[in-house]
Amino acid sequence: MSELVSHATDYEIVEGEPPELLGRNLNSGAHLFASATAFFFLAFVFAYFYLRSLNNADKWRPKHIDPSLAYGTIVMALIVLSALLVRIGLLQHRAGRRAQWRRTGVVALALGIAGVVVQVIEWTAIGFGPADGGYASVFFGWTAFNVLFTIGTLFWLENIVATSLRYRSHATGSPAPGEASGDPGRPGHDISDPLSLVRPGLESLSFYWGFVAGLGVLSWVVLYLI
Amino acid sequence: MSAVAIETTPPLWRRLIGFNLLTAVVLGVGGWYLGWFIGHQVAGASIDYFGDIDQNDVAIFCGYIIGLLGFLIGLGFGVYPWSRMRGYPPSLREKETEGAGRYFGLCTDHKVVGIQYLWGIGLFFFVGGLNAMFIRMELLSPTSHIFPPGQYLTLVGMHGTMMMGMFTSGILGPFANYLVPLMIGARRMAFPRIEALTFWLLMSAGAILTTTIFFGGFPTGWTGYEPLNDQANAGMDAYIVFFALVGISMCLLGLNMIATIVTMRAPGLTWSRLPIFCWGVLSTAILMVLAAPVLVAVLGMAMLDRTAQTTFFLPTGGGSPYLYENLFWIFGHPEVYILALPGFAIVLELLPVFARKPLWGYRLSVAGLLGVTLLSWLVWQHHIFVSGINSDLRPFYMLSTELISIPTGFTFLCGLMTLWRGNLRFPVPMLFCLAWFFNFLIGGLSGVFLSDVPSDVTTHGSFFSMAHFHYTIMGGLVFTFFAAIYYWVPKMTGYMLNERLGKVHFWLMFISFNSTFGPLFAIGFLGQPRRAVTYAHTLQFLNDWVSISAFVLGFSLLLFLVNFVWSLVFAKVPAPANPWGSRSLEWQLPSPVPVHNFDRIPHITSDPYDYGEARGPVAVPAPTGVGGMS
Repeated sequence: MSELVSHATDYEIVEGEPPELLGRNLNSGAHLFASATAFFFLAFVFAYFYLRSLNNADKWRPKHIDPSLAYGTIVMALIVLSALLVRIGLLQHRAGRRAQWRRTGVVALALGIAGVVVQVIEWTAIGFGPADGGYASVFFGWTAFNVLFTIGTLFWLENIVATSLRYRSHATGSPAPGEASGDPGRPGHDISDPLSLVRPGLESLSFYWGFVAGLGVLSWVVLYLI
Repeated sequence: MSAVAIETTPPLWRRLIGFNLLTAVVLGVGGWYLGWFIGHQVAGASIDYFGDIDQNDVAIFCGYIIGLLGFLIGLGFGVYPWSRMRGYPPSLREKETEGAGRYFGLCTDHKVVGIQYLWGIGLFFFVGGLNAMFIRMELLSPTSHIFPPGQYLTLVGMHGTMMMGMFTSGILGPFANYLVPLMIGARRMAFPRIEALTFWLLMSAGAILTTTIFFGGFPTGWTGYEPLNDQANAGMDAYIVFFALVGISMCLLGLNMIATIVTMRAPGLTWSRLPIFCWGVLSTAILMVLAAPVLVAVLGMAMLDRTAQTTFFLPTGGGSPYLYENLFWIFGHPEVYILALPGFAIVLELLPVFARKPLWGYRLSVAGLLGVTLLSWLVWQHHIFVSGINSDLRPFYMLSTELISIPTGFTFLCGLMTLWRGNLRFPVPMLFCLAWFFNFLIGGLSGVFLSDVPSDVTTHGSFFSMAHFHYTIMGGLVFTFFAAIYYWVPKMTGYMLNERLGKVHFWLMFISFNSTFGPLFAIGFLGQPRRAVTYAHTLQFLNDWVSISAFVLGFSLLLFLVNFVWSLVFAKVPAPANPWGSRSLEWQLPSPVPVHNFDRIPHITSDPYDYGEARGPVAVPAPTGVGGMS
């Protein structure tokens, strides 16, 4: 028998893992996902400039294709503001001001949702359709996928805010193991002190949300200003 | 730190009506019909280019997407997000138990996921191989005699798409998922649920691709080129959803691998002690994380063209089909190395074991793997030399493509030098590794013809290029896939595969493989185009030779299947803990490996290739701690 394992195949025991390791995982995962996101939107940047340079059949951007700068600016501003608030929330959390962080988190979530809603309103009021040339195609495709990524990130933010709110009255200690896993039959934690993961989660989210907001600024520049 | 049992077996009624594969299939089918219904409510029939099928692309896409969500919810993937949404804190593991049931549902044990991948990919490999047999049956005659041209095109497309799509995870799915945590001294992957998700996404993708036959198939081959993609009938939707899911699965798989290797290495496992297999996985994973999103994006555009009437790829609407071709190959060429690099890594990992020598040029090997990773981004336009690329760009892409043979050569050199003056043994895994040298050399040399613009112009659309990529992908990847199976299945299952049957399988496969694809170079030079169901009568002898060789190749794979089932189900010869005498960490554990791998996280004390030198064990248990990186 190897000295690395002595219990053989009937081993069913696992120790609670240290949250620091999971924090590192989250952090590297967020950076890697940001890289993947960048390459995803690179395809749309490529499409924009490629189709613009070709201007096939003079249909790149006919005269009437002109999205409202006001809507675009509002969407971008809401997302950037939300990302900034998450960053501020992280600083509040680090400083131990948990009640302030919870309020900031809720406001950041509301602003992000507002950004998505305004984007949907813009689509309905924009005055042209996806079939109206190359620019219109890129505009609708890019903004649609941007909204998908935004919703995914807001879901992550909601998870962290919800955990902070649910356990706001727990001064010390951890929730019951069943609560941690969503499996009421589970007798123990597989992460020791799972609530301590709120901070690393928030740090990773803050990075990724800032990255998505940066993409929002890029799309605003490319789609509305150039 | 307290030790806790993590799972109890639920009662039978819960297992039957709870979250399991049965529920998943029911919800998946139900979801498909729901999506179909919703799609018909929000959109009328799409433009029907060929007029032979009543198609509504919006309904079909809605059906696939909602069906997929239903399938994943049925497996239990919705429970955790729902729990997190309500504010419950994170947890890591689910359903990590003993027993066969864990293989048929959501399980976060990396070893279970690895074995799920092995069977799942094996199943689709069989389907793809069967398509190849049908193709060669058709090509026994120079005129169309079994399948009409449309069906033949779908067969070719199904074969190529299935193989290229499913085999992107052919090594990382089964072997990296199973072995990387063991090789780096970890108990799990960084993101266990995502690991399980990648597998079930891939299986869903495979099932969706097969449904293309209900919608008339697709005529584009595995590349899905525009403008045919926009014009094709509803079977094309299955292709788009398939490859998009493969891309998502690939990206998440790569992300998980990188995070695991970067953050979860055991103490003492420095970068210079990392097994070369892990370096190969890391290189591949980098390509997966960065290339797959481009594929998903371009297929998203194709989906929008087919449903929302955008004009990304329609020149009359301000788009361009070349946009698709460029974006597809920005993904597609790294994809070639996503397929090839794990093969390099397996060969380099196994050679020292069977040569009883340290790996020659470890750092050079790593440089080779990373060099290929970098250069593979700079060559994509050689795929469109004959498709209208600006001729001023050709020299750059020709040179960059030829440059990539330098880091590839590093790998070759390191492998050969590891063999030099080694104390060689020739069990089945070693034979497959040696075959890789021969096959990949031919694949690589014929690739030079295709990277060279003048010769590419005459050979590109012919069977020459088909022979080339089968030599690189099948000769490079599939042979090493079998090397890995013969080498690591004893660790995964606890049983040895039959050596004699394995050797018969190897020789039959090696000879028939070369007899199948070697003559295709000649057929290509003589002018037979790819994807055409008819050919010149003068080429019938060569085609018949190739077809018969292909049937023998198919038979050799059946022989492998017989060996696999016989050895694991009937013979059940127990595998020694370390049958090959390897120094790698996974072989220091019992076979099969316990549920949570290590009682205590090991401390790595040397690299895994110190063969022939008087050294202590490769790892000892660390005094305390449950994880961490060096």
